[in-house]
Amino acid sequence: MIYLYTNKQDSGKWILQNDWYFNLYTSNEGFTEEDEKLIWQIDHAKLNRDKHIETKYGLGTIRNLSSGCKTILNVMKNPGKVVNADECGQNVLDILFSMKGISLYMTRPERIHIKEDVEICFNDVDIVVGSKGYEHWWSREYERRNMDDL
Amino acid sequence: MIYNTINFNAAPFSYSLEFADRITLVRGDSATGKTYLYQMLEDLKLLEEYQAIKLFNYKTEEFHDNLKKCRDKFIVIDNADLLLDNEDRSFINFDSSNQYMLFARNCDGLNLSSGSFMLLHENDYKVSLERELVTV
Repeated sequence: MIYLYTNKQDSGKWILQNDWYFNLYTSNEGFTEEDEKLIWQIDHAKLNRDKHIETKYGLGTIRNLSSGCKTILNVMKNPGKVVNADECGQNVLDILFSMKGISLYMTRPERIHIKEDVEICFNDVDIVVGSKGYEHWWSREYERRNMDDL
Repeated sequence: MIYNTINFNAAPFSYSLEFADRITLVRGDSATGKTYLYQMLEDLKLLEEYQAIKLFNYKTEEFHDNLKKCRDKFIVIDNADLLLDNEDRSFINFDSSNQYMLFARNCDGLNLSSGSFMLLHENDYKVSLERELVTV
């Protein structure tokens, strides 16, 4: 199940600013081989043992990863937290929606490749399945927002 | 328009950015170099030719007030999805003195044309803005 929240909450359990949170907290944690593979997949960055990275933009530290990559690492390293996915491109969202048991904050729909058996729970209320369920939920949400003049 | 084009070299990259609308929204996949471009513009704005560049990101203090004080600027906003509220978006729509390049995915509440939607494209170290195919 993927848990999606569409209304913002200021809570310690939420990560709203991914760059800030990653730079201060997540980057200080240990990184696994799986993390290294994701960093390569998204940013084409080679992670060294001392948390420096090598990319086509040059040498840097892990804090120079893209916001999308930081978002996915925030999700993986902080289970139980709701992570803001509004800054993620489709390449990152496709990976996020292939995971299980994660919680994301999204204010609008994005084109995402979602497998037909993926269960998504919106705002702890509505459970939908697959890309059709995801698209149908957002269509109804936009109808509601239009009616409420939001 | 404050700038129709922005051209500079940052070895090994060469940037040639052409703008077709007063508001440019740069979207696309993560890790295409948007924040790297933002960091290059921090240096570029120190040149006299590019003094009109004004940069904002999530580290900017009093973002909303400072945005509204800008006049005749080329405003670049990284993390724009996080920073822009409805009031800012309304200000941008009615503000004719500034030009905007927004690193944002959410276009709700902005008056945009088909020339507003761009993707950052890199080929053989040459970086440019390419139109994103969207229905406006």
